[in-house]
Amino acid sequence: MTTRALSRREYLHAMSAAGLATLANGAPKLRAEPVQHPKATADTVILLWMAGGMGAPDTFDPKRYTKFEVGVPVDKILSTFPAIDTVVDNIKLTEGLENVAKVMDRGTLIRSHVVADLGNILHSRHQYHWHTGYVPPQTVACPHIGAWMARVLGPRNPAIPPFINIGQKLEGHGESEELKAFTTGGFFGTEYGPFNLPFPDDAVSAVRPPKGMTPQRFAARHEKYKELLKASPLGELASDHHHESMLKSVDNAHRLLTSKERDAFDITKEPKKNYDAYNTGRFGLGCLLARRLTEAGARFIEVTTEYVPFLHWDTHENGHTTYARMKKEIDRPIAQLVLDLEERGLLDRTLVVLASEFSRDMMIEGVPGSTARDQSRAKAEKLGELKHYGLHRHFTGSGSVLMFGGGTKKGFLYGETAAERPLVTTKNPVSIRDLHATIFHAMGVSPKTAFDVEKRPFYATEDGKGVPVADLFAKKG
Amino acid sequence: MRYALALVGFGLALSPTAAQPPGKSADFAHDVVPILKAKCAKCHTNGTYKGGLSLDTRDELVKSKAVVSGKSALSELHKRVASTDDELRMPPGNATPLTAKEVAVLAKWIDDGLPWEPGFTFKPATYLAPLKPRKVVPPVAQAADREHPIDRIIDAHSAANRVERPRPADDDAFVRRAHLDLIGLPPAPGELDAFRAANRETKHAELVRTLLADNRAYADHWLAFWNDALRNEYRGTGYIDGGRKQITAWLYKSLLENKPYDTFARELISPTPESEGFARGIKWRGEVNASQIVELQFAQNVGQVFFGANLKCASCHDSFIDSWKLDDAYGLAAVIADKPLAVHRCDKPTGKTASAKFLFPELGAIDATAPKAKRLEQLAALVTHPDNGRFARTLVNRVWHRLTGRGIVHPVDVMGNKPWSEDLLDYLAVYFVENKYDIKKLIEHIATSHAYKARAVPLAREAPAGEYAFRGPELKRLSAEQFVDAIWMLTGTAPAKHSGAFQGALPPFPANGPKERQFVRCTLVDCDPLMRSLGRPNREQVVTTRPDQLSTLQALDLANGQILQTTLERGAANVLKANASASADALVDWVYLRALSRKPVGAEREAAKSLVGEKPTAESVADLLWAVVMLPEFQLVR
Repeated sequence: MTTRALSRREYLHAMSAAGLATLANGAPKLRAEPVQHPKATADTVILLWMAGGMGAPDTFDPKRYTKFEVGVPVDKILSTFPAIDTVVDNIKLTEGLENVAKVMDRGTLIRSHVVADLGNILHSRHQYHWHTGYVPPQTVACPHIGAWMARVLGPRNPAIPPFINIGQKLEGHGESEELKAFTTGGFFGTEYGPFNLPFPDDAVSAVRPPKGMTPQRFAARHEKYKELLKASPLGELASDHHHESMLKSVDNAHRLLTSKERDAFDITKEPKKNYDAYNTGRFGLGCLLARRLTEAGARFIEVTTEYVPFLHWDTHENGHTTYARMKKEIDRPIAQLVLDLEERGLLDRTLVVLASEFSRDMMIEGVPGSTARDQSRAKAEKLGELKHYGLHRHFTGSGSVLMFGGGTKKGFLYGETAAERPLVTTKNPVSIRDLHATIFHAMGVSPKTAFDVEKRPFYATEDGKGVPVADLFAKKG
Repeated sequence: MRYALALVGFGLALSPTAAQPPGKSADFAHDVVPILKAKCAKCHTNGTYKGGLSLDTRDELVKSKAVVSGKSALSELHKRVASTDDELRMPPGNATPLTAKEVAVLAKWIDDGLPWEPGFTFKPATYLAPLKPRKVVPPVAQAADREHPIDRIIDAHSAANRVERPRPADDDAFVRRAHLDLIGLPPAPGELDAFRAANRETKHAELVRTLLADNRAYADHWLAFWNDALRNEYRGTGYIDGGRKQITAWLYKSLLENKPYDTFARELISPTPESEGFARGIKWRGEVNASQIVELQFAQNVGQVFFGANLKCASCHDSFIDSWKLDDAYGLAAVIADKPLAVHRCDKPTGKTASAKFLFPELGAIDATAPKAKRLEQLAALVTHPDNGRFARTLVNRVWHRLTGRGIVHPVDVMGNKPWSEDLLDYLAVYFVENKYDIKKLIEHIATSHAYKARAVPLAREAPAGEYAFRGPELKRLSAEQFVDAIWMLTGTAPAKHSGAFQGALPPFPANGPKERQFVRCTLVDCDPLMRSLGRPNREQVVTTRPDQLSTLQALDLANGQILQTTLERGAANVLKANASASADALVDWVYLRALSRKPVGAEREAAKSLVGEKPTAESVADLLWAVVMLPEFQLVR
């Protein structure tokens, strides 16, 4: 504990010059109006992102089950998976989530997450909204919620970047530019932006010397650089803030590349049994990496199933088949993550949040009555083939969010949705704004926290109006 | 700004007052201010003080003797508003007189001793320059070699602020700075030698002119600046549904031709199919907030790019931070609207329809009933109207900022801030207009002044407005494009092909230019992760300044990112080939000269030589290249 406190202080000291210089250069300043920050119930957030719109009726909010049979009218179908019991009496999940079902007694399930209806559906717009709290387009570059945590709270451990983003490729597919628009520090600047690790099994390369360079050469290169720097005739310019902050940043980067915490990025260092328990694919390994980084002192980690248009949770056809696979991918690692954090005594101070940009429905695009374009690629009045069977339309009227740890209640169910279509929220709706307020609250950050951007206040939650859902917390924070 | 603060303080103070029982004492904020605003402010506040009466502050009101505090019966103000005589009554003429109740409110307020909210003023503290261009006669030169009009103004400024007159930079620093500022690249060794060797006093000016005459290099460099400002070369949202259009070919051609800035602006506002991407904005799929429809994007972007005016607030409600109103933003938006535009306040319809209107109505009106193309034409003419000083000031300020690292008005997008030298700003604006909005001519004029030639000033922090005085150019960080270009030039690793956006548009390199400059520049290829990491923006928003500090994550990408490393390794092979029989000494010189525009000095040489070894290898040269490009000296324009 002492070591960590000490290293944190050193880090803050090292960072402060760069930080102050940054502030002096028109970067947003924390607004002077004092806000009352709540007492933190969590030190770290792990966001498990179900990218592409995870349909609640086939995952965490089972409805009447209809088996696949040729000729069944599709408008009769609510869920394509039967419900299963969990260790909590009043909480049922769908088939394929048996491992999560076993740890439901550690979690809180929200079934009433209502996201904004933005008319014609575009995943990246909704994802932007969910991640920044603001509906795009905006006149300023909005920071990701992880960047807020990085900016307001800073790193927990100086050797671990405060905002880490696992599992999302940002190049080479449709909508990748749109993803970049919110996978960003926004107006806070890149100092608070995401540390992107698209491939968890290769994460360690992000903190290693470049490929083909031995650690000896890497170290020698840095030493020589320092010598050149020392010998260079900087004169009076050395005192300039551009100079100073540049050198601080280079030092910070070098520290990250040489610290012992680097091992946290190397999931091959995990015992095989454990590794295998997580290894259901990239998402599973991402969960393992998130756990290791949490132990090492990360502040905010997102692990995504990855958004690529029409892949993974983004089922425009063949939904049922794809969901069976997706659940296989997420079920075991999520449960393992919860158990591992618990075993290490970290669950109480780590808030795990599973969410998605919206839900899905067999019939309704958007919300009931919406004129949004129907984007299903398997339109049929009656089931003809398996391709027709699944939740192929984007639904914004309700959705599920799962939380573990970080001061939230255990074995708790919140909110309710209708038993029959439209499967809208019928009790305790939770908006993105309030959900964010809840996450900020757990992290000890007031949802009213604001920065001056172009002389205007810009709030952690939209217009500073986010209200934490108090019911979700085990005790008053 | 002070105005904004006054209002904020004001707002905060409201609640307790409002909670008081009515009638206790005059409620200045709730009752008095609205009357003064509605009935008196037009003629008696904020620069207009008819009859010598100023209501700007309590002090000025008392000074004007229109009121006797505590005695409404003896107060002229009360007599005049209460008068039944048409000749005497205020407000005069056909204006609606105050109601009896309003008269009573003012009377009680005077009787109560004129309670006033501390700090409140009717006068906005935002600096308001007269719109018309002002011709400045620069002071007499203080020495024979200080005749450049810019220096005459700056010398007077230095004297008035008691700061030392800027000292000249050395040749190496000047050559490097001029190259990087004007065409975005470091100088080639031949250029450096030629400049050093020349003894002519005119050599600085000659270099500036030579660089600006390289149309290709100039366009390749300034393209980044204009892509940022005009949200061009953008690949993100909007494209999926065809809601966005590139203007690359038009923009590049405009820069090559050095299109006069007034024509340039007119073609963006009243566009041809080639230039319409800017005015069309980004159309998103689905519904967007009322303040973000494409028509309002147009208003915001026209305001920001051409006038350094922030209409973002005013797109939603009357701005709290400056004088722009909802009407201003919607008036501008209505110019481009295809259909009647419903005014929304904070995303809710007000029931009104916007009518086409220009931000500075004193320059002329837009015929709201004319067809859209005609309205845009009228707007383009008003934006570039010879009497519109704000248009020219905004541009010259941006150019001054690019060249010296600090705006005359700072930050550059808040043209409502007071310039540190009104004379310099106005002088340059008029110079620009008189020279037919020729941007190159303007750059040349600035870059040939002693002010530009001065030694860079080290600053422990950025000087806050109000404390700033010109001491010389500041250090500037290389943009992502400049950084990558400089490495490509140093190592011969530029890509072979430019992006498809420039079909057939690229002119040949000038025959007399250095060979080192003949490569495909960073601005001509798509953004890669390294450029992106270093700050080449997404361009969803207008960008006019890039972050000037290296962040930790950026430093990390430079330390172990694969793109830079691969480039340096390929580059090392090229460097070795170019120095096949050279000694370690010569190779080190070669690298330093190209990277830092100077040879290594003192202990540097030994350190560099020991890095590269007796027998330089691809590895050791790559490491030397890395160490050199990581020096702040490489990454900053000094």
